[in-house]
Amino acid sequence: MSAIDIKNLTVKAGAKTLINDVTLSIEAGTWLTIIGPNGAGKTSLVETVAGIRKIDAGSIAITGQDIGGLSERERARLVALVPQNPFVPSGMSVRDYVALGRTAYHGMMRAPSAGDRAIVDSVIERLSLQEFAKRNVATLSGGERQRMVLARTLAQSTMVVVLDEPITGLDLRHQMDLLELLKKEVADCGLTVLATLHDLTLAGQFADRLVLLDKSQVVLDGPARDVIRNAELASRYGMQLRVVDVDGADVVVPVRS
Amino acid sequence: MTFICLLLAVFCGLVVGPTSIGTSRIFGSLFAHLGIGHSTLDTMQTTIVWQLRAPRLVLGLLAGAMLAVAGGTYQGVFRNPLADPYLLGVAAGAGLGATFAIMDVGHAISTPTWTPLIAFAGAMLAVGCTWLIGGRGMSSNASTLVLAGVAVAALLTSAQTFLQQQASANSIARVYIWLLGSLASASWSSVNLALPYVLVCITICVLCGQALDVMSVGEDEARSLGLPVRRVRTLVIVASSLGTAAIVSVVGLIGFVGIIVPHIVRLVVGTSYRRILPISVVVGAAFLVFADTIARTAVSPSELPLGVITALVGAPVFVLVLSLRRIQQ
Repeated sequence: MSAIDIKNLTVKAGAKTLINDVTLSIEAGTWLTIIGPNGAGKTSLVETVAGIRKIDAGSIAITGQDIGGLSERERARLVALVPQNPFVPSGMSVRDYVALGRTAYHGMMRAPSAGDRAIVDSVIERLSLQEFAKRNVATLSGGERQRMVLARTLAQSTMVVVLDEPITGLDLRHQMDLLELLKKEVADCGLTVLATLHDLTLAGQFADRLVLLDKSQVVLDGPARDVIRNAELASRYGMQLRVVDVDGADVVVPVRS
Repeated sequence: MTFICLLLAVFCGLVVGPTSIGTSRIFGSLFAHLGIGHSTLDTMQTTIVWQLRAPRLVLGLLAGAMLAVAGGTYQGVFRNPLADPYLLGVAAGAGLGATFAIMDVGHAISTPTWTPLIAFAGAMLAVGCTWLIGGRGMSSNASTLVLAGVAVAALLTSAQTFLQQQASANSIARVYIWLLGSLASASWSSVNLALPYVLVCITICVLCGQALDVMSVGEDEARSLGLPVRRVRTLVIVASSLGTAAIVSVVGLIGFVGIIVPHIVRLVVGTSYRRILPISVVVGAAFLVFADTIARTAVSPSELPLGVITALVGAPVFVLVLSLRRIQQ
């Protein structure tokens, strides 16, 4: 069964077309990463799936439900988002921030219930955030902060998670840590992941499937290894790329012209 | 602590005044109203306590609570620490309405009882214009609404200035006094006029504290978390504006309460609106009654403008709390 079903999706911002007639289907419990040059439409696509952008034509169904007709609350119970630049309100504790993920369950005029708090505590434990739980979010390092944002997303208890450049600004170790955490959630909980990444090597190593987006349209779609090794990839980035096999893993190396 | 301050403010509001009346006799009269014992106040003292001080106290509590919670709510919904209850043009609209009524434009509405009603209509008209120009608030973003509020306020203030230029010296003085805000003309009828609006609006604002916490991550993220952002924004803006308009129409423009009180509360209890808003209600109420006690007793038998006292007391207290906070950090 498809966890995400995108059919003939078109999204515009004024006269500019951000997504042009895109059709994609993502199997439940798999990881699909969208790659592509800047301005290809990657962020617009994940934001539309998360319900932030308006659909101009076509449809998006999450676990069989068309999100076009859903309220914010209903949609947030189906799909959770890690935005590209999450805003972290200074002064809020890590636990309170993670608890924001329960908004769709307790309603806009009620505080989180005991059940909500139990889920928040369990996610905090799962992501090893206990020692930070009472700290002001403004005092966290980049890596800790991104782990906290992921915890908020997992607290939403959805089966589909979309992430827009989740490793931007992190050092190599924290990039790997975050993606490994996510991979574990996919394996353990059957989570479906739709992500955008600029790092082609990491995109190829963690995703089951890659989609190359360029000029608002799907150019390549297939298993990670096939897309990474396709000559079209380099031409779309307008540069030379070399793919090196390191212990069975593809490493994408840019080559100076 | 905050409730002790509130009780102390209520005590000051009833007991302190130019006419000395024993505390025990005032509270004896209070208990007599509750059916316990009997009052020992004479007719003059009964009038002073129950027709002058009590409505003034109640109106002060309502005004302080409403302005403080509206300021806190606006700061949350617009994510702007400089937001105050007059952000969307309530003050300018009410000011124009009051000027219109005080100057008796058209010689058709010349009674003091009309002033609050015309001021209220002016305030609501101003917010209505802001709402329409700002894209009905539902479809626009928050900053568009704030800019529309600035434009409407500027337009109405210039209209008010034009009207004032045509006025007599006596009318100008009365408009000026109204603009500075005062509880001197408080009566049970003005309490009755504001009470229903204020109670409903404060309740709505306080209940939306959790939603404002979610909105602190930004409108797009809040929407992705499942918050109906536009509905929340509409609800809290309507509640804050309506409550502020009701208060401003009966007490005039009292500045600083709406901006200073929520900030002081935030510095003490943290950034969660679930705590800031209910505590601002109590602190705002106590603060305004204390300020009014100073305003009516400092240069007795005349009175100081209430807005002057709220700024004079509020600003140093704010600086003190800010300094203590820095030392703690």
